[in-house]
Amino acid sequence: MSKHHLGEFEEIVMLTVAVLHDEAYGIAIIDEMEQRLNRKVSIGALQTVLRRLEKKGYLSSRFGEATKVRGGKRKRYFTLTSYGKKVLAEVKEQRIGLWNAIPKFVLGE
Amino acid sequence: MSKKHTPPKLFLDFFRWFCHRDYLEDLEGDLMERFERRAKEKNVRKARRGFSKDVIQLFRPGIIKSLSGTQKLTTYDMLHHHALLTLRNFKRYKNSFLINLTGLSTGLACFFLISLYVHDELIIDKFHENDDQLYQVMNNLHQSAGITTGSQTPAPLGKALAEEIPEIKLSASVIPVGFNNDYGLVSAGDNYIKAAEQYVTKDYFKLFSYKILEGTSADIVSRKEGVAISEALAIKLFNTSNGLVGKDLKWAKEDFSGEFVITGIFETPPKNSTVQFDLVFNLELFLDQAPYLRKWWNSDPETYVRLENNADPVYVNSKIEKFLHTKVRNSASTLFLQRYSERYLNSRYENGQVAGGRSQYIRLLSVTAILILIIACINFINLSTAKASRRLKEIGIKKAIGASRRMMMFQFLSESFFMTLIALILALTMVVIALPHFNVITGKELIFQLDQWTVLTLSIATFFTALLSGIYPAFYLSGLNAISTLKGIFPVQLSKGHSRKGLVVFQFSISIMLILSVIVVYQQITYIQSKNLGYSRENVLYISNDGALNEQQESFRSRLKNIPGVVNTTSFYHDLVGDYGRTGGVSWKGKDPDVIMSFVNLEVGYDFVETLSIEMAEGRSYSHDFQDQKGKIMFNEAAIDVMGMEDPVGKKIILWGEEREIIGVVRDFHLESLYETIKPCFLQLVPKANKTLFKIQPETKTSTIRQVQTLYQEFNPDFPFEYKYLEDDYRDLYAPEKQTEVLSRYFCGIAIIISCLGLFGLVAFITEKRLKEIGIRKILGSGTTRIVYLLSSDFGKMVLIAIIIALPVSYLLTKNWLDSFAYRISLEWWFFAGSGLVAVLVAWGTVAVQTIKAANINPVECLKDE
Repeated sequence: MSKHHLGEFEEIVMLTVAVLHDEAYGIAIIDEMEQRLNRKVSIGALQTVLRRLEKKGYLSSRFGEATKVRGGKRKRYFTLTSYGKKVLAEVKEQRIGLWNAIPKFVLGE
Repeated sequence: MSKKHTPPKLFLDFFRWFCHRDYLEDLEGDLMERFERRAKEKNVRKARRGFSKDVIQLFRPGIIKSLSGTQKLTTYDMLHHHALLTLRNFKRYKNSFLINLTGLSTGLACFFLISLYVHDELIIDKFHENDDQLYQVMNNLHQSAGITTGSQTPAPLGKALAEEIPEIKLSASVIPVGFNNDYGLVSAGDNYIKAAEQYVTKDYFKLFSYKILEGTSADIVSRKEGVAISEALAIKLFNTSNGLVGKDLKWAKEDFSGEFVITGIFETPPKNSTVQFDLVFNLELFLDQAPYLRKWWNSDPETYVRLENNADPVYVNSKIEKFLHTKVRNSASTLFLQRYSERYLNSRYENGQVAGGRSQYIRLLSVTAILILIIACINFINLSTAKASRRLKEIGIKKAIGASRRMMMFQFLSESFFMTLIALILALTMVVIALPHFNVITGKELIFQLDQWTVLTLSIATFFTALLSGIYPAFYLSGLNAISTLKGIFPVQLSKGHSRKGLVVFQFSISIMLILSVIVVYQQITYIQSKNLGYSRENVLYISNDGALNEQQESFRSRLKNIPGVVNTTSFYHDLVGDYGRTGGVSWKGKDPDVIMSFVNLEVGYDFVETLSIEMAEGRSYSHDFQDQKGKIMFNEAAIDVMGMEDPVGKKIILWGEEREIIGVVRDFHLESLYETIKPCFLQLVPKANKTLFKIQPETKTSTIRQVQTLYQEFNPDFPFEYKYLEDDYRDLYAPEKQTEVLSRYFCGIAIIISCLGLFGLVAFITEKRLKEIGIRKILGSGTTRIVYLLSSDFGKMVLIAIIIALPVSYLLTKNWLDSFAYRISLEWWFFAGSGLVAVLVAWGTVAVQTIKAANINPVECLKDE
């Protein structure tokens, strides 16, 4: 087992952050996930995972500019750190490795 | 933005309160954005609901701010800081930490043990549903010698009271357990087992809340040939408690023996009931055997009443006081009510009024518990104020930085709370370990469980201990001046330590009082146990005359006498610890007809005086050689005194209208506890009695008893052989006193140890501080004795002052207790000298260990550093 273990939800969150590139903040991430994956995401679950990933060093965050909407509160944008990118790549490789190792007849093709 | 477009304020505030400070801004932004979007796309109501849901979903670890807080200098941080300092202080001053810990935890443990004991005593008999309205009718007999209080009342009294006094709802007349004999024998087949019985009137089960499992309270005791039995007895006899109504059982006890039909099953009385019984018969059964009891002028059964809910017992009391006068002309008795559940704690009477009993001992123990706790608190106070000089810099700096007095007080208080909490954990462990031993001493079955009472006493005691130990040091240390403490100027009052000395004096006064009371109680108990009672109770056994024995007493006794090792035998109708009949039916030549004089009536068999080694004053005792069955009587000296008779032997008196000749006078002997004086009494020869007494030689005890058993089995093959020692009855009489004596000895020891620990810590600290002074003195030529004197004279003085305070106070307290005994030790001077001496020796011993060590120090050791 790799030393970087990612949970399923954690992995999806990181991928979504990567998809959104520079626009990844709380609500945007939820919208993107709900739209692409067709599943309900609660704000509490998402936010705890975001903070956890940040603490682990997979994500970093910065504040945006204050606007008139959102009660004048700033957005917090998340981006992948290079460490985070490495971990994602590793996870992807493991998956591909698994896929490749499946004998052809098993999946019926 | 219109007003409608705001999220629920309650949830927003809640979110702002719990959310981690770092995440607050952007998360609130996110929440607002979702809210605004939902408000636009759906409607405001749904948006508000969604907002609340989001907030609740965010309330989870990772988002909630941590307890230590990210903001500095919150209450949490101060607590954290105090805890840290406290722990460091404990580490640095291990001695005083250990002394405080030992003191406080033992103090708390004692307190909890005693509170368990006290609670167990207080709930006795409290389980009856109508406890508030349940009373016993007591009987005051007025005589020229004073008032005697008893529980015996006329049998018709209960019924008459319920009928004639509207405030009395129900009543029951009861011949209680232990009448004549502690138990009878019951059987459902061949084997008989022991069981205790009561004879009651029909409303008994409506007064007392013993649950009826089968049958109804209305008819369970309504028939003479019926009997109600307890669940426990039912299981012993039939292995079940169901479907027994209508079955027969055999009952053997003197004249009441026979076959009875089971009419009901009741729940076995709980442990906290003073009355423990297995069978309940109808009172009529008893009255048929003793028809004279149906008359108003004879007393025997006990009467219980249940008042109406709103009745005032004081008013009812005044109504029933002279009740007997309406039934019997010139009655010498007045009645009063005593709360049923208070009988256990207050069972002694003086001049017709309740005069204490167990409640006194409970009070004594409670006070001791509190005193021990206070002593432990004083240790904490003394050590922490003495240590203050070490912490002057800390206090000074904190104050200079801007700590307010309240904050400093908070710090010192939290220190004492911390200490007490640690002590509490240790104390609970001690209680769990000590409880089995404590149960052995007290004869109780206490268990430690966290019920309402325990939790309440635990928290109250802990809180007050912490407060009491912490409040004075907190006030005192926080009040020091910042500038002078930083300069190192020692405040005057601190170096003198008057209050500290005062507290030590207080501690030792308490210890001395405890020592003295232990000495006095111990002496009195020993006196009671060893007092010559006028008869010899050693090696005297008795068995009850059950079954065939009842009819064949004489032949049994003559064969018993032939067993080697049996010294003598007699028969007897009472016990020698306070159960006897009483009669006013004695008259003699020269008696004032208006004065009612009652005599104790002892019904005895041949050889009574000889078996119990009672001394004769004049004349002879009952003997087979004379025709003594009729017309003869014996008195004790007290009786001859009240009759004012000279040369009594050969004179005639009238007993119940029958002339009798006095054949002998015995020297006074004690018939009951030493709380009572010896009453006038006569000894009447009866052919049949309910007990056979026999004195044995102690050397061959086992084999003799075995032979007695064989003989007994010959008469009663089905019955179990049970015997009792007269001595044990007597010991049981003073069980509460004995218990209190043993307990107070333990607790007094603990109190002294805790005080000495405190003193030890204080002296250690003070000598350490004066080490340099000692060094210089030694260099200048002072001797060891001189230095020891210098260091210990202060403490000597404190202990002396403590003695002066404690002795008069304890004199009054112990005298008060002793006065309740009719026969008591006198307070000897050496009790006081002894307890004072013990205190002085213990204190000086404690001080000497430290001071001698300090005085012998090599001056180089303590002076080389500077």
